[in-house]
Amino acid sequence: MSDEKELTGNESLQIITEMIQKVKGSFNENGSSAILWGAVVAFCGLVSFAQAQFNFNIGFDLWLLIMVAVIPQIYIVFREKKKNLVKTYQQSATDNIWLVYGITIVAIILYQNIVPGASDNILHREGIQLLQKNTTTGEIKDFHFYVPGISSIYLIIYAFPTIATGLVCKFKPMIYGALICYGLFIISLYAPYKYDMLLMGLAGIFNWLIPGFILRQRYLKGLAR
Amino acid sequence: MFNDLNPILHSQLRLAVMSLLISVKEAEFTFIREKTNSSAGNLSVQIQKLKDAGYIDVVKQFKENYPQTTCKITKAGIAAFEEYVKSLQSYLGK
Repeated sequence: MSDEKELTGNESLQIITEMIQKVKGSFNENGSSAILWGAVVAFCGLVSFAQAQFNFNIGFDLWLLIMVAVIPQIYIVFREKKKNLVKTYQQSATDNIWLVYGITIVAIILYQNIVPGASDNILHREGIQLLQKNTTTGEIKDFHFYVPGISSIYLIIYAFPTIATGLVCKFKPMIYGALICYGLFIISLYAPYKYDMLLMGLAGIFNWLIPGFILRQRYLKGLAR
Repeated sequence: MFNDLNPILHSQLRLAVMSLLISVKEAEFTFIREKTNSSAGNLSVQIQKLKDAGYIDVVKQFKENYPQTTCKITKAGIAAFEEYVKSLQSYLGK
């Protein structure tokens, strides 16, 4: 393209349209993050369910893998930031959505781990002891606070960035994945803890893993063009 | 016929650069060069003209020991582009 040519009105319009179309084709998302998180959550959920269902224990808290997965995630974010030559408004919006999601997940983990113990301590300081009685055996023991049905909360939070990204990017696999995740949330309201783990595993697969693989395919197709 | 159109924008390469930048938050020089299919020298000159007019911001920095130039449209650039498109539409509608 040179700068010497005198433009006609139609040529001007053609340039504007062509450039806007070219930007639309600049699709940078390769699905690595979605595949990583989908695989980790699916693995943790399904293995946790298998442990409860088939009575075995692998000896450590599987969900710690989520924390370990943060390291490759940071690497992926920096690598993609370096690689991208353009930042669209859409990317900027989805980056912010996932940032808020990250903060929310950390906040929920803190809430889940701090609030029950803190509540116990408050009652203890006030000289109050809560007891629980097994109405079948008559056994009475100390009652400790816990957050009931926390898996349901995780399922809602898992769906949030996926549906927001799907709507912003008009990417149907993410919208459908998130809708499935909302469905799993409703089931989790009535399911015992063991099945919550199965639902979390399924959420990892439908909410992230499958949309992630579809994104990857779309990205590789774009590279091949 | 096109005398009233903004002369800064009414040129093939500068219009292409502005049309790219209006659609994105920011873009690197290499991306703009690839999409506009222009030479580095010519693109540099036109980017400088757009910068001098206050239509784009240009940030030059080093990334992994390589120079990197990032361009971003300004509010004045958006207003000028919108005005250009309006004028163009009214001319074409005549």
